[in-house]
Amino acid sequence: MEILAFASFAVLVVAWLVAPSRGDVIVVSRAAEDRKAA
Amino acid sequence: MPNTISAGDTAWLLMSAALVMLMTPALGFFYGGLVRRKNVLATIMHSFFILALISVQWVLWGYTLAFGPDHGGLIGGLDWLALRGVGQDPGPYAPTVPHEAYMVFQMMFAVITPALITGAFAERKRFKAFVVFTLLWATFVYDPVAHWVWGGGWLGQLGALDFAGGTVVHITSGVSALVAALVLGRRVGFGRDAMDPHDATMTVLGASLLWFGWFGFNAGSAITAGGLAANAFVVTNTAAAMAALTWMTVSWLHKGAPSVLGAAAGAVAGLVAITPASGYVDVSASILIGLGAGIFCYTAIQLTKRLKVDDALDVFGVHGVGGAWGALATGIFATVAINSGAKDGLAYGNPGQLGIQAIAVAASIVYSAVMTFVILKLIDVFVGLRVPENEEVLGLDASQHREAAYQI
Repeated sequence: MEILAFASFAVLVVAWLVAPSRGDVIVVSRAAEDRKAA
Repeated sequence: MPNTISAGDTAWLLMSAALVMLMTPALGFFYGGLVRRKNVLATIMHSFFILALISVQWVLWGYTLAFGPDHGGLIGGLDWLALRGVGQDPGPYAPTVPHEAYMVFQMMFAVITPALITGAFAERKRFKAFVVFTLLWATFVYDPVAHWVWGGGWLGQLGALDFAGGTVVHITSGVSALVAALVLGRRVGFGRDAMDPHDATMTVLGASLLWFGWFGFNAGSAITAGGLAANAFVVTNTAAAMAALTWMTVSWLHKGAPSVLGAAAGAVAGLVAITPASGYVDVSASILIGLGAGIFCYTAIQLTKRLKVDDALDVFGVHGVGGAWGALATGIFATVAINSGAKDGLAYGNPGQLGIQAIAVAASIVYSAVMTFVILKLIDVFVGLRVPENEEVLGLDASQHREAAYQI
């Protein structure tokens, strides 16, 4: 059980390391422009 | 073995753990109000995420490294990995409460300490770098220093007094914050663009909740529900109040207006400074400690600003300087009249205690500074510390979290 507990946390840590780190800046900027145009 | 558990002590300790838990999201609001509106969510997220991250780290390996059976005065053994053997019977540190209650109280200290550092790298650190830094820092800085002081390590054996975390919590986080600010560098536009707090009301609310939670932090550190807890409660409140009054007065004389944010920061500085002393000093000493906190911390922040160090939310000035002052003041004002299990300080005829406190301060400064520098440099190589300039200008809420705090 303890091994499973460590493993599940380790999976999360690995996921954080490989997850995309850039936000979708373009989408956010376009939404702001859309609001401004409206 | 007779059951020695006290219902009163256990109730107070669990209540105190809940009070200290509240401090971390309160810190998020304190810091969140101080940043620009484009970074408020990212700033609050730092504290909220740490609450979750260190809660798991602590039960898996943090607690056993900090409080497990001693190895050479430096680190705890792995005997209590994943809380194996930490159950409902009392442990070695507190004979009247379940070991689990003591563990979870200590967990909340481990949670808030790395959260304090986040104020130094606000508005420019990559979220992924922040996550990795927090995990490494908790494991290689907080857990060992907690062991040195509270877990049977060398500073505790030396006789260093730290009731609730002046060295373990505030010096380590404050010094690490300064190192982080220097390694990351200044924010884009620092010294040129206005970087005023976007919501002072949020900051004052955060400071108020911190003040409230600090009663658990300090009075809970008595571990028993008795006179020592009551004294810690009283001196904590008094020092916070005195420091708030002092900071506001100094800033009023210096800048011509009684700053609301100054009063809030002053209260936090007083809470920081009384933390290591709260189980050893009387109420008169707490007034002097609060006075010193207001003066020293305010002055330190003016100096860091003059040196153009971008410690964005003044973590070093409040926690590093306040923690060091509190630790040294403990060596001056401690008295066995308040805590018969402690020692007298300089003011009561024992100058040696001040020397021991100075050693504890120096050791925690040097260790946390070196380790934080190494951790940050490694992360910079493998992950990258800062967001790109265009993302920093856009704001971390949008670039790191794809969310906006306000729709108005």
